[in-house]
Amino acid sequence: MFKKRIRAAGLALAMMLSLLAGTATAPTATAVDCTTTIKIWSFGDVFLPRLILQYKNENPGVCFDIKKSDLDPLNGTNMITACAAANSHTGPDIAAVEIQYSGYWRSYPQCFVDLRTMKRTKDQKSASSLKSLYLPWRWNNGVAYNGSVIGMPTDVGGLEVAYRWDLLKAKGLPYKRDEVSAAISTWEKFIAFGAKYTSKLTAAQKAQKIGFLDNAGAIYTAMTAQGVMKYYKNNGTANGQLVYKSNPSVKKAYDTTIKALKAGIGTRVAQFSSDWTVGMQKGKYAMMLAPAWMMDYIKQQAASTSGKWDIANMPGGGGNQGGTQLTIPTAGNPLNRQAAFDFLTWYVAPEQQKTAFLTYGMFPTTVSLYKDPQVTGYKDPFFNNAPVGEIYASGVQKLKPIFAGKYDRAIDKEIGAALTRIDVLISKKKTYNAAAEWTKAMSEIAKVAR
Amino acid sequence: MQLEQSPIDAVDSAQSAPAKGGRRNAAPSPWRTPKPQKPVAVTGIHSLNGRWAYLFTSPFFIMFTIFGLIPVVYSVYIAFYQWDPLDPSMQTFVGLDNFKFLIEDSNFWNAVRNTFSIWAFSTLPQMALAIGLASILRNPILRGATVWRTLLLIPNITSVLAVALVFGQLFGRDYGMINYVIGLFGFDHIDFVEDTIPGHIAIATMITWRWVGYNSLIFLAAMLAIPQELFESAAIDGASKWQTFRYVTLPQLKNTITFFLIVGTIGGLQVFAEPLILGGAGGGANRQFSTLTLFLFEQAFINVNWGYGAAVGIAITIIVLIISAINFMITRRIASSDN
Repeated sequence: MFKKRIRAAGLALAMMLSLLAGTATAPTATAVDCTTTIKIWSFGDVFLPRLILQYKNENPGVCFDIKKSDLDPLNGTNMITACAAANSHTGPDIAAVEIQYSGYWRSYPQCFVDLRTMKRTKDQKSASSLKSLYLPWRWNNGVAYNGSVIGMPTDVGGLEVAYRWDLLKAKGLPYKRDEVSAAISTWEKFIAFGAKYTSKLTAAQKAQKIGFLDNAGAIYTAMTAQGVMKYYKNNGTANGQLVYKSNPSVKKAYDTTIKALKAGIGTRVAQFSSDWTVGMQKGKYAMMLAPAWMMDYIKQQAASTSGKWDIANMPGGGGNQGGTQLTIPTAGNPLNRQAAFDFLTWYVAPEQQKTAFLTYGMFPTTVSLYKDPQVTGYKDPFFNNAPVGEIYASGVQKLKPIFAGKYDRAIDKEIGAALTRIDVLISKKKTYNAAAEWTKAMSEIAKVAR
Repeated sequence: MQLEQSPIDAVDSAQSAPAKGGRRNAAPSPWRTPKPQKPVAVTGIHSLNGRWAYLFTSPFFIMFTIFGLIPVVYSVYIAFYQWDPLDPSMQTFVGLDNFKFLIEDSNFWNAVRNTFSIWAFSTLPQMALAIGLASILRNPILRGATVWRTLLLIPNITSVLAVALVFGQLFGRDYGMINYVIGLFGFDHIDFVEDTIPGHIAIATMITWRWVGYNSLIFLAAMLAIPQELFESAAIDGASKWQTFRYVTLPQLKNTITFFLIVGTIGGLQVFAEPLILGGAGGGANRQFSTLTLFLFEQAFINVNWGYGAAVGIAITIIVLIISAINFMITRRIASSDN
């Protein structure tokens, strides 16, 4: 009896361990001679192990304590807590901020060290003198409403069109890179092109809900990023001036997206859902709006479609999805600030960004690299040898700085919900009222931004 | 020492010494109440005798104060403000505005509806399943009972994130396994994300999967505590398996069922991760997944209305209190009908 119990307990323990093993971190060698330990809060794969190792080798004595959140919202929540308790100086020395959250943090420059006041040890350069290295609009994501520089950009997502040339060819549509780029140069032409594709689908394909674009709602986000102003106007105050109601480009993006929904070019699957991933392998959709980092994801998830993809230019010119800034929170240890700034400026320098692009596909924010032959000459057989570096470099340079504010995410969420509601109604062949949904979204936003 | 000896001790010690004549010692009378001893002044570490308990229990109270009481009190305070955690100049007292807004906010009442809908879909089938599983596990013929009991707990220790990802694949609209099976029977695919009731069922399934094992162990423990004589007399009376279950086992589980319902209700009001992963922070385009806790999260962390978020938290507390009161009354009624 006793033996039996022990066996059962052992079994339970073994099973628990096997479950935990998935989450346990690999043991790392502990360096004994750490003179400075830089505490970093991050998420996802912002800090690439290879570059961290390189910095450690070049700067003996510097160690890192990297805490990674599973989800970027969690990282954001932790940072709010850290800033609220900034005087304890127990927070991170460096924190990564996802681009979606830059609007929020730009209202709170008091949470970060103004990088203009820091000088790096190597050449006494401050953030102000490094500014010219970076894409202006991307640099702007790290500038607070009062002008203080709270973050420097590590990478930019960019946004271009990834498409299956074999599927376009099968429907007798233009499928070569330049032809496709020309055929979808504006959003109106893009929708017409999609409608042409869907009209040529066979009855069997229609029954399988095959379509042209993965999710037509993405058009809204892409279009609003192409202007000079979105929901806010910078009036020099922490909250900025909300202009989401009156800004014609927001309404235009909304209306154009509804046109696309009405044309039925989307397959109505959410990005990163299981339907989306399986659909990528099965050719459920012929096109998607893809940031540079997405290419690696496509390669992993849909390996069987190698060589059948290509990259064309974004309708309307350029776009962005994703990217990260590095900040030095005031909640960190003041004694580590100099070391943190030295590391931060090193990490976002062109050489390191180049390594990150060539090994991990993270697209650089430093403009000098857009003329670097290793970047512009980068080609990928998976994407039919498209000059990926060149296409993304020209795309990201077309965007302009846009002032973002505290409620950006909430407003995106409400307008996105209105578009999804219309999308569902259209798919069920029910009547919808675009104006009423717009009004509803506006009143929901008014509730939030009261 | 002699002086401190109470008279009763003196009598006892006198009796314990064998008296002349060999008379047996009489047992000390149990009816004699000992007189209270004089207090003795103790010094040093012994002076804390009896008070050590406070020291030993203090970690709980300190932790509870820091992580339980203070946050609750603080969130009540925040609820009366338009609050910004990072900028004191943006904190303005607004009185009952947040609560007034809450009463009028259709999104809040929608969250209440969703929460109870998901609760109903998860708790009731879960109870039936858990009692069923417990009676299977109770069966003496079952081999390797400990292994089965251990296996039942595994869903409970799996991360919610992983559960939600796997179930997200099962419930996929186009390529999900469940819809594949539905399609085999010639029915239209169900959209488990955009349609309200199927969505609630999908979330309730995740919750049931996660908690049914845990709850069946609780029911199992309650079943094992039922006196064997009851089953024996039922067998003598010629009761069938079902009759034994219906008239012996089930009535004996009454208290456990009440416990399950209370804990299940409180758990149901805290459903958060599953709808967040399936529908996003806003709980889907029609707010079909917006549960109370997710609504709180959305208000505080996405819409950055911290004061309103705190007011939602207080509303959740009040709802829990009301439900607990109802549960308490029902439990009392059950108990009194037993007597």
